[in-house]
Amino acid sequence: MNARSQTFELEVEGHQVDEAVASIFHTVLFHRSLGKFCYKQEGSYSVGTVGYEDVDCDFIDFTYVCCSSYYLDQTLKREISGFSEALRGNDGPGSGQISLEFFQKKKTRWPFHTECIPWEVWNLRLELIKLNNEHERQLCREKVGELLTEKILYVADVMNRHDYVPKMPNQSELDLIFDTTYPDIQPYLFKLSFTTSGPTTVSVGSTMKKLIKETLSL
Amino acid sequence: MMVSGSPQPPSLLSARLSAQDKKDLDKFTKFLALKSAQIIVQSRMGEKISTRCNPESSGTDWFNLAIKDLPEVLAEAKSAMNKGGPRLPLCVEIFLKTAEGDTMVLENWAVGVKPEMVDPSVRVTYTVYNRMGILLKSLVSVTRVTPAYKLSRRQGPDSYVICYKIYVGEPQLTNLGEGYNSMKVGQLSTPVGTIYLSVAYRTKMTISPQPSNDSSIMVKSDHFRPESSPKHGRPNSVDSDPLSETIKSGAFAESLKKPRLPPDFDPLADIPFSSLLSLGKPPKKASPSVTDTLVPDDTPTQDDSDNGNVTPKCPSLSDDFIMVDLKTPFAGSNANTDLGLFYRECQSAPQLEAFANDPPVLDQVGDLTKQLEAFETNLLEYDNVITQLCNADNNN
Repeated sequence: MNARSQTFELEVEGHQVDEAVASIFHTVLFHRSLGKFCYKQEGSYSVGTVGYEDVDCDFIDFTYVCCSSYYLDQTLKREISGFSEALRGNDGPGSGQISLEFFQKKKTRWPFHTECIPWEVWNLRLELIKLNNEHERQLCREKVGELLTEKILYVADVMNRHDYVPKMPNQSELDLIFDTTYPDIQPYLFKLSFTTSGPTTVSVGSTMKKLIKETLSL
Repeated sequence: MMVSGSPQPPSLLSARLSAQDKKDLDKFTKFLALKSAQIIVQSRMGEKISTRCNPESSGTDWFNLAIKDLPEVLAEAKSAMNKGGPRLPLCVEIFLKTAEGDTMVLENWAVGVKPEMVDPSVRVTYTVYNRMGILLKSLVSVTRVTPAYKLSRRQGPDSYVICYKIYVGEPQLTNLGEGYNSMKVGQLSTPVGTIYLSVAYRTKMTISPQPSNDSSIMVKSDHFRPESSPKHGRPNSVDSDPLSETIKSGAFAESLKKPRLPPDFDPLADIPFSSLLSLGKPPKKASPSVTDTLVPDDTPTQDDSDNGNVTPKCPSLSDDFIMVDLKTPFAGSNANTDLGLFYRECQSAPQLEAFANDPPVLDQVGDLTKQLEAFETNLLEYDNVITQLCNADNNN
């Protein structure tokens, strides 16, 4: 698949994970959501209005904008907190990646499932850091805010390159392109997924590789 | 599948822009500019914005985006655009106004068209309109991350308020101070040119003295409007300015005289007293009795004893060190001299108390006479001791 993909890397404290991810993904979804389509007759439809609201972060000196859609926010919160828990749990690995993937569906003949073709992927790699005192925490609040500023500017830059987005479908194929389950807004079909992997796993893997290599060379 | 095909030669297509398309494009561009002004001004009002999604829009919301229209902003933008000349670039200048009435320009947003970059292939009614919607969404997002956003959220009638000015013409960026940043929010191609949205913003938020040979560190809150400075009676007064976080008026408030400091004195140095630890410059290590050596020749001589800039009078200091007693911000009137004394004590070995308590020379001379007399009277005794010692030697 030749979906375009963007990858961001960030070092944050545990408390900041949810807000850091939400600020970037909400900004992307704000750009990738349209007003709800309302069909009158085939071929004629009206487009609803997208509202937006400012969100102040608690653990980062930062404000971002998201669509004012309660259900869209719930979807995002649920997925992000799953990632956050896996990352920050007692035996959490301390680093991981969460992805926001936009895709379109392609109908296939029975018995095959509908094919999902991604067209844009946003990856966010996070590394957890430990802070020792309030002074460091304050500096980290500001630093992460500055880093997120860069990311938001980059998102705006990508959105205004006007690269490929799926063609506007007709009514019968609307849900192959858009997520029509939200009552107030119509984002392009998207899904969130995450992986977490700690530095220990990496080192074990590379040690094994080295062992096998050495065995083979003998 | 690509939405935007590769641009075709303009000669073939320029004629294809119908009168209707041209009219639509004009209208879209006008509303893009008007809505941009609304987004920018509303983001600087100091409050969180929240507009509702409306799935059953009646079609009155431009670009399918719920942007409130403030009548005052709309009127300002319209009057700027309807002056008869060109309507773009439309600029929105955001500036800060202190309670005292001083102003500082923070940022300048601009919507304009570059006519030399055209893309005749884009569909006006559909593609251009949707891309304008995306551009406005980017503007909404970006207005929250430039430095002026945080300032605007902290505004208040007692400290400062954020104001705006809307005008048509080339952006005036000179009043953004040195080292301002510019960046593009986004752009989109149309058959008549590329529409862009950009911002330039001030990076130096702290008011600091301009580098010059003048040894004055006088700082004014109207620093950026030098022509108006004489109106203000107290040139040192910066206390009303919330931006001057490193310089408070308290430091020099005791004296109405111009403080005289070494030209290399850095009032913004992070470490208080750090200048105490640096060595004096070689040309200035003249004899310590000349108290004005640290003051450049062009400065009128004044009695500066109450201004805190005093050269040391302690002759025991080593030559390469010049003590500067500074009246520093936040310090009590005597705190800095304590540190100075402490430093002096550390600079060279302390004097022994035995020497410090020496009696006067005349007394010492009198003592000597008495001692000589005592020795003479005891002469016999000393002789006996020596004889005894000699005898003891013989025994060995």
